[in-house]
Amino acid sequence: MKSKKKSYKWVPYLFLIPYLIAFFAFRFGPSIAGFFISLTRWNIVGQAKFVGFTNFVELFKDPNFIKSLVNTLYFMLLTVPSLVIGGLLIAMLVDQPLKGRMAARTFVFMPYVIMSTVVGVIWLWIFDTHFGILNYYLGFLGIKPIAWLSSINWAMPAVAIATVWWTIGFNMILFLAGLQDIPNELKEAARIDGASSWQVFWNVTLPLLTPTTIVVVMLTLINTFQVFAQVYVMTGGGPSLATLTVVQYMYVQSFQYYRLGYGSAIAYVIFMFLVAFILIEKKFLKRFGDEN
Amino acid sequence: MIRLLLYFFLVLCIVTSFFPILWMTVSAFKPEGEILSYPPQWIPLHPTWSNFSYVLSKFNFARWTFNSVVSAVVAMIIVIFIDSLAAFAFARMRFRSNKVLYSIIISMLMVPIQVTIVPLYLMFANVNLLNTLIALILPTTGNVTGVFILTSFFKSVPQDLLDAAIVDGAGSFKIWWSIMLPLARPSISAVAIITFMSNWTSFLWPLVSVSSDASRTLPVGIAQFFGGQSGVSGSAPQYGPAMAAALMATIPAVAIFLFLQRYFVKGIMMTGIKG
Repeated sequence: MKSKKKSYKWVPYLFLIPYLIAFFAFRFGPSIAGFFISLTRWNIVGQAKFVGFTNFVELFKDPNFIKSLVNTLYFMLLTVPSLVIGGLLIAMLVDQPLKGRMAARTFVFMPYVIMSTVVGVIWLWIFDTHFGILNYYLGFLGIKPIAWLSSINWAMPAVAIATVWWTIGFNMILFLAGLQDIPNELKEAARIDGASSWQVFWNVTLPLLTPTTIVVVMLTLINTFQVFAQVYVMTGGGPSLATLTVVQYMYVQSFQYYRLGYGSAIAYVIFMFLVAFILIEKKFLKRFGDEN
Repeated sequence: MIRLLLYFFLVLCIVTSFFPILWMTVSAFKPEGEILSYPPQWIPLHPTWSNFSYVLSKFNFARWTFNSVVSAVVAMIIVIFIDSLAAFAFARMRFRSNKVLYSIIISMLMVPIQVTIVPLYLMFANVNLLNTLIALILPTTGNVTGVFILTSFFKSVPQDLLDAAIVDGAGSFKIWWSIMLPLARPSISAVAIITFMSNWTSFLWPLVSVSSDASRTLPVGIAQFFGGQSGVSGSAPQYGPAMAAALMATIPAVAIFLFLQRYFVKGIMMTGIKG
């Protein structure tokens, strides 16, 4: 304890040991081990052979890996803006004094508690080319049936739609919390000074929402880069690798081809990308924040 | 006029969010003939339980559910227990490596789970524990978010409260158990929900660590439902049973969510804080 009472040096460790064992055995240890495995060539049955950074070099010459990387970034391009801007807009909407806003919050968030593979299964049915309900309704608008999940052009947007539907409620909650932290007096004061709603939003609400926005963008980038389960169910990476994502490629290399070293190298590339996202975003938003 | 527009968007949000869930629900009750009827039918003309009985008899569905529930609940209990112990030490005790250890732990927030999958697989394969509940549970106990959330909460507890207990002769364990834990109830609920949900929906590790059908969890079981991805291969997939399975896997989570809404929201806000 912080007080100067007779305290035994080992007492803190008694509290820490159960967690530290779990942490070092199942989180920290494996993370470090993963790095060393990424430096080997290892096909589970044979011996691990140290090859330095060969796997990483090979990765960036591997057209399928590049494809999975491009696909994942494309997926992010489709989802991140909708998830961030859409999440903000919905949060602002359900922040208004409207009847039914509580219901709307509940409904928008509800999909988030559904497990990813179930989301995949539901949307597989909605996107069915011949019998799917989406194509049926699009028919009313004069749109010919789209082969959502089996066409190279539409498969990724389809997965993106399902993903936005599934996770936008999460961002809504974060933005809503941020909005409610902004003191009303500030907006009132701006209004009294003759600011329009748009000016209040742009000059008061948005700058004060910057910390929330940083968190939301960060979490969204991190999560969307790791997309896997819903793709696995909806398209399995197809058609013609059009929806193969980085995590799926890591899974395939590690556990279908059992190239453990190569798979681990992919996992570490994922890690490096996440770090890059965080650094870039911090830098970008710092500059943005300074200008305000 | 603007209000009308706002209400329009509000309704649009509700409808869009709910539509797929509703469609799954009604489809689960349709007999095979109706499921592929075109135009699509919103109300089942001959509602039936046959999809549900099909899923329960043809698949190990009950077993998957059991595995999911047990692994998520046990992991949640372990995490609350060991994380709150450790958080108490980090927040309230002086020992030499406090800061260093804590920063090592926090730094792992950035490291994605994927880098641990291959080593964990090798580890559990070596001790012959693949395909067991132990393999599903143990790796999730090294969690970092829980320690982070609880440590920040414990730090915010006024020292006077603890001093009073110390004067009364309470030892560290007593303070942890009878002062800290009750005070932290909201944070602990949030950690409990985050842990439960992330285990309940976890996919990659269960997919890797479990290959026998009887030890699958729900997310993995459901992913195998179409026997890979027959949905795109042309042969008509069995949407009726799939929707019944999806519905059965969804109801518990949605029910828990509706009961514990505010804790979900709190949990998410805490996830957000971690930045």
